[in-house]
Amino acid sequence: MANENLSVWTSIPFWRRSAAWVTGFASILLIWLTFDTMRQISMGTDNDLKNGVTKRVPAPTVINYHIDYKMSQKRGHEVPVIGKKEPFFGKEWSPKEAKELLHLGKLTSQAKNCMNCHTLLGNGAYYAPDLTKAWLDPAWQKGGAMQAMTGKNTTEEAMAEFLQHPSKYPTHARMMPNLGITEKEAKGLVAFLKHMSSIDTNGFPRNFSKTVDQFKAGGTNAH
Amino acid sequence: MIEPFTDVVPSFFGMLNQGPLTLTIFLHTIIILPMFWIYKQEKAKLQDK
Repeated sequence: MANENLSVWTSIPFWRRSAAWVTGFASILLIWLTFDTMRQISMGTDNDLKNGVTKRVPAPTVINYHIDYKMSQKRGHEVPVIGKKEPFFGKEWSPKEAKELLHLGKLTSQAKNCMNCHTLLGNGAYYAPDLTKAWLDPAWQKGGAMQAMTGKNTTEEAMAEFLQHPSKYPTHARMMPNLGITEKEAKGLVAFLKHMSSIDTNGFPRNFSKTVDQFKAGGTNAH
Repeated sequence: MIEPFTDVVPSFFGMLNQGPLTLTIFLHTIIILPMFWIYKQEKAKLQDK
């Protein structure tokens, strides 16, 4: 047969069609993945919280709830557990107020460049402690060293007090400088941190509860 | 062999993501398979000439 030695590998139409197929499919896949990701990271609503719908990023009103961090055997890492309602700075925040407070906190975190030293959700520097789950740090809870140091009775008040006068409180060798954070901005930042601790980060930072247990047993740092 | 879906928000890609390589292998496979079909079509065309 005359055609016995013909090669498809040297055929230009074959490569042209293959390239078109791969490029076309990859483009569609990327567009699909973009929308899929948007759905994953879109913020929940206040009604989701009321109805117990789990979202990766809950609504700003999550600051009105108790947040816990528990090991999930099913997923193989810790997940945030949104519990009962609890007052935040002595009151319940409406969806509008909570959104504004969280927005102020986010802007303050950017203006004061927290990420220059700290890590937020895996982004930032490694000079100061990771703040992703800072709200859950036992040092700031009742009986914790940081809360006791500030002389306040709640986690949010203790954190807000520290943020306004960080250089007043000895923490460790790398002391936080005074950044001129106002009372309102400090409240915003604490709301921002509380909301961040309620975000499902697929278990990041790893083994947080383990380090918390070590801390309770007399370890040095919960981070 | 197939792990149950554990992610928070249901997703087709989350379902495929059984481990670090499964999604990659799956996507490469479905991209490569139609190329066999393109190959056969082109071969048939060349043989007809």
